[in-house]
Amino acid sequence: MSYLPLYFKLVGAGVRAQLQYRFAFFMRIIGLITAYAGMAATMWVMLYRFDALGGWTFYEMLFLLALAVVSWGCCITVFFHFKSLDTYIVNGTFDRFLVRPIHPFFHFMSMKFDIGAVGQFIFSIVVFLWVSMAIDIDWSVWKVLFLLSTIIGGVLIQGGMLVIISALAFWTTKSEQFYWVAMYPARNLTNYPLVIYPKLVQMITAFIVPFGFVNYFPSTVILGKETPYFPDFVGFLSPLVGVVFFLLAYWLWMSGLSRYKSTGS
Amino acid sequence: MPIIEVNNINKDFMVAKRETGFLGSVRSLFKREFIKKEAVKDISFSIEKGEMVGYIGPNGAGKSTTIKMLTGILVPSSGTIKVNGIVPYEQRQKNASNIGVVFGQRTQLWWDLPTIESFELLKEIYQVSDARYKQNMEIYQEILGLDEFLNTPVRQLSLGQRMRADIAASLLHDPPILFLDEPTIGLDVVAKEKMRTFIQEINRERKVTVILTTHDMEDIEKLCNRMVLIDHGQKVYDGDISAVKERFGKIRTLVVDVENGEATFDIVGAEVVKREANRVWLQFNRDEISASELIGRITQTHSIKDLTVEEPAIESIISRIYQEGFEEKLVSV
Repeated sequence: MSYLPLYFKLVGAGVRAQLQYRFAFFMRIIGLITAYAGMAATMWVMLYRFDALGGWTFYEMLFLLALAVVSWGCCITVFFHFKSLDTYIVNGTFDRFLVRPIHPFFHFMSMKFDIGAVGQFIFSIVVFLWVSMAIDIDWSVWKVLFLLSTIIGGVLIQGGMLVIISALAFWTTKSEQFYWVAMYPARNLTNYPLVIYPKLVQMITAFIVPFGFVNYFPSTVILGKETPYFPDFVGFLSPLVGVVFFLLAYWLWMSGLSRYKSTGS
Repeated sequence: MPIIEVNNINKDFMVAKRETGFLGSVRSLFKREFIKKEAVKDISFSIEKGEMVGYIGPNGAGKSTTIKMLTGILVPSSGTIKVNGIVPYEQRQKNASNIGVVFGQRTQLWWDLPTIESFELLKEIYQVSDARYKQNMEIYQEILGLDEFLNTPVRQLSLGQRMRADIAASLLHDPPILFLDEPTIGLDVVAKEKMRTFIQEINRERKVTVILTTHDMEDIEKLCNRMVLIDHGQKVYDGDISAVKERFGKIRTLVVDVENGEATFDIVGAEVVKREANRVWLQFNRDEISASELIGRITQTHSIKDLTVEEPAIESIISRIYQEGFEEKLVSV
């Protein structure tokens, strides 16, 4: 059976369900744009005093932020509801995914498609255009392709992280707080160039929670920046890291599921 | 060949021991003790195609755990299960297309969308052909009266409507086996009756094998001719409902309206259990004294205006079984 048409049908239902709550939908989009604009304003205030942070100018940092926001936007569209898998397990609704003749990971993934992330897209497109004009980034074809593959890599890395967090629910029953304890701070960290952090933090974001590959490493390629401690080609690795990390997360999720099947909740 | 075969299945869980009091709960934050809980102990049974079996037991007896193992959600700790020739926990997805499942407490429908959309999505998930879908929908719409709420979002349905939609949804793909976990819970009398008629009908017309768990003994009495009774994870009875009634139904009650409600009855094998104005309830054991004998004895000393003999409800029989246990010799199979 082909999963792709089924995915669109299920996702379409998810979107229609989301649109039942119009007010909440629009408020969220406006809220997100405002929040990110606020973050950009903070950067501007900070750099107004210092000119550059770790060798990064205001516009370069805006670029870094926009890259993080766009891949996070794509990521939450597809994967954000994984964060709440624990609620499904606790109230027993997860069993529903196990009495249907389709793959449970696929089924759970296609339950929701959060089009509220439009806010992130609007913000990041405006910022990309603005920065490109301000510091004359020459958008050749390969650079655009590089950017797209980086975004896909970033989506897989952050989506993988959400999948890992959700998989923990199979062991701990409650897992949403891992999002707030681990993922939320890590994401905030990567809104700034990693070069400003101690070596240990940089190593963690490269090898353990590979969020450095979401925006920092690829940005150094496009903006021509130095990456101390890391070889120059590191910026090209995002898609590869994304695929590997996501497969790892998927494997963990499936092991969690088989544990769930032997222990219940 | 039986459509469901369960052989000596066990299911153990490790459950965190709960400590009492504030200090206890703080302590259990850091150090937790686990105890083994045997939810299902050495249960075996087999069910033939077209049977309707009531799976009954008090809360926590292991009913849901068994159903979860039959549907492939849980893997048994030991023992074997075959459902329609398939081991459910090994080929869960394949098993899923052979079964319909309704959990009475939780809907499987898309909460925020008009009811019809859930049916259309399930059609895609189970790959039901257009012709089959149309045919089934027509039948279910007629028997279950789905028309009146097909365009209403599921969250706005009444419980009765939601259950009707849920059971129709579970049968869209024509499964040969249907698991119903508390299908009438919380429904009013009319809705319960509708649900039972429908279950009977699909069992009769389509030869769907039905396994249902319930707390409502009326469900069992009206729907099933066989019941499997479990308690503390063990099977205590498996067989005819009439056999249980036969064995435990010897105690009956004669209700008589006499002229004088204060009247005394001195009859061997019968005793007064209740009085209300001029009405008297006399409990008697069928083996010691027959109903006609008893009535004859009463008419010797009193004039009877009216009388009825009450059969024991299966409900009271079952609660007696749980209290007193069941003699080994009665466990058939």
